[in-house]
Amino acid sequence: MSTRHVSIVPGLAPAAVEYVRAREWRMACERQSGAGGRFCGLFAGRGPMGLQANCVFAHADQDHVVCASAPGGEIDTIVDLFAAAEWDEREAHDCYGLRFDGHEPLRSLIDHPAEPDAWTVPIHGHDAYRVAVGPIHAGVIESGHFLFAVVGERILHLDLRLFYKHRGLQIAAEGRSLAEGLRHVQRVCGACAVTNTVAYAQACESALGFTPDRQLRQARTLLLELERLYNHLNDISAICAGVGFAPGATAFAGFKERAQRLNQRLSGHRFLFDTVALGASTLRIGQADALAAREELAALHQEEGRVWRELQFAASLQDRLDGVGALTRADAERLGATGPVARATGLRHDTRSESPRLAYRSFTPATLLRATGDVSARLNVRQIELEQTFAILDQLLSSRVTPGGVKPGGAEPGDFKPGDAALTGLGVARVESPRGETVCVVKTDRRAVERLHLRTGSYANWPVLVCATRDNLLPDFPLINKSFELCYACVDR
Amino acid sequence: MFVLLRHLGRVRREIALPRAQRCGSLALRHVDAGSCNGCEHELAASANPYYDLQRHGLGIVASPRHADVLLVTGQITTRMVDPLRRAYDAMPEPRLVAALGDCAIGHNTLGDPAQLAGPLEGILPVSLRIPGCPPTPQQIADALVDLMLSSRSSKIARCGCP
Ligand code: SF4
Repeated sequence: MSTRHVSIVPGLAPAAVEYVRAREWRMACERQSGAGGRFCGLFAGRGPMGLQANCVFAHADQDHVVCASAPGGEIDTIVDLFAAAEWDEREAHDCYGLRFDGHEPLRSLIDHPAEPDAWTVPIHGHDAYRVAVGPIHAGVIESGHFLFAVVGERILHLDLRLFYKHRGLQIAAEGRSLAEGLRHVQRVCGACAVTNTVAYAQACESALGFTPDRQLRQARTLLLELERLYNHLNDISAICAGVGFAPGATAFAGFKERAQRLNQRLSGHRFLFDTVALGASTLRIGQADALAAREELAALHQEEGRVWRELQFAASLQDRLDGVGALTRADAERLGATGPVARATGLRHDTRSESPRLAYRSFTPATLLRATGDVSARLNVRQIELEQTFAILDQLLSSRVTPGGVKPGGAEPGDFKPGDAALTGLGVARVESPRGETVCVVKTDRRAVERLHLRTGSYANWPVLVCATRDNLLPDFPLINKSFELCYACVDR
Repeated sequence: MFVLLRHLGRVRREIALPRAQRCGSLALRHVDAGSCNGCEHELAASANPYYDLQRHGLGIVASPRHADVLLVTGQITTRMVDPLRRAYDAMPEPRLVAALGDCAIGHNTLGDPAQLAGPLEGILPVSLRIPGCPPTPQQIADALVDLMLSSRSSKIARCGCP
């Protein structure tokens, strides 16, 4: 007999779905933000009445999804209400042909038309010229194209053309079983594999009305933090490399290697691939292994701290960081920045503090004394987060890790109102990746994927990078880019 | 700075990599043709102090015009076919193509067929396959060192010793 979970924990209730008419779409979205909802992504889909627009809003207690059919394939834009919806609307147009009335010009994002006018912001003036970079870059970097508009050395504007690596993973997952869907999500990005798969698994579980038990919550939290550990070490190394400070880059690359070797020992894979399953966790770490991992982490923490202190006194590094790629808090908020990038501007949001499906008890987001929003702040916020991660890992590894599962419920059966997820089969999950909040929406149709949408932290932050580069020097761009350290694969999908 | 350099010195001593047999060099150019970024991380990691690919004379160069070997990662997307071909065309001869990782080899590819251009073999002549998802830095280093030693006779790896 199944046991029912009685109390409703905020955030555990499945997402509420609100169906509105096309002409009420804008109003419904406005209403959501008026009620304190935070824009978390827009995506198109196909419904019984043709094309559909869907918009996700995060609330403290329960996420909301506003859905509207778009007869004739057109709907009002909401980009003037939520600047963060710009890429989402462009993507919905390119992938589904949904047009947004009032979004002018609706430049292509995923499609790659030959005409530059179709995807760039026009630049006028005497001395302005363009510098094109990519899709193949000089280092070992993912593929993507940057087109700078420059005066002298000053960047006026940056046009991004990503999606060179668009593999159509979301569309390919449609119609397949939920487990097959997980394989597709796993493939999206190597460096965010755990975040993406945990978000997908949580969305599926939420759609089917399950909540994870304590062991599952702990195992997933452990994996997420192991992922953050090697990523943040990598990102600090990348910033050092961005200014050509080889000793720092080499030292942190070494720390990252140690973190990945630990991943290998604990999970059997250096990137923790295939460690997340639907409704279960098979991760098993005995007492002795947990203790050994804890010791290794303590040693790593100590050495990392020592090298970090050295970096504070390395003038050739520090002199390059202040005031470069500065992002104001207002811009970060307006553009929907997330993750370390947002926290470096003083925004106090971290999805880990609102994740009842994971084992983050009383988590408080990292805060900087001087949240200057520049490269220096983005570097420092990562170090603070590393400290948190070391503490969480130490706590999670204080006992052995055993396999876990899910239990039905999360809300009382009577609390499932018509339109709720358990009936519509719609699950929403938000998980904090090393690069920010990743939102996953899964529409299920009898245990198959009907629609999958993954909006990663990188996806939210790429347009923010454009804002942060404005008025900076072109030679500083690699450094600014490194301080964001966004994935292309997470966006291209 | 002193503490940092001492730390690096100690790391190198502890890892104690064996001396490389310096018998040539290969210039490598990487092209991501649709990967998940896992293979890139591991290729970059093969230059960290634990593997130190450079000590064998293997280095990543910034332009395909300077490269002997093209390392291709990922499933080949339709949008990367053209840049990939152009990178290959820019390479001086003799040149080699290596498929790095299962995706580039063509194993277990996933995605919308309309967005994928099919296996690398059908696009460029592949002479080295490094399997794994992703291959570890050690596997990458071993495969490339083997390639360098075996291609000495074919004069791709420039060799200064008799
Ligand atoms: S082989 Fe594996 S790690 Fe490499 S690109 Fe493909 S999925 Fe990613």
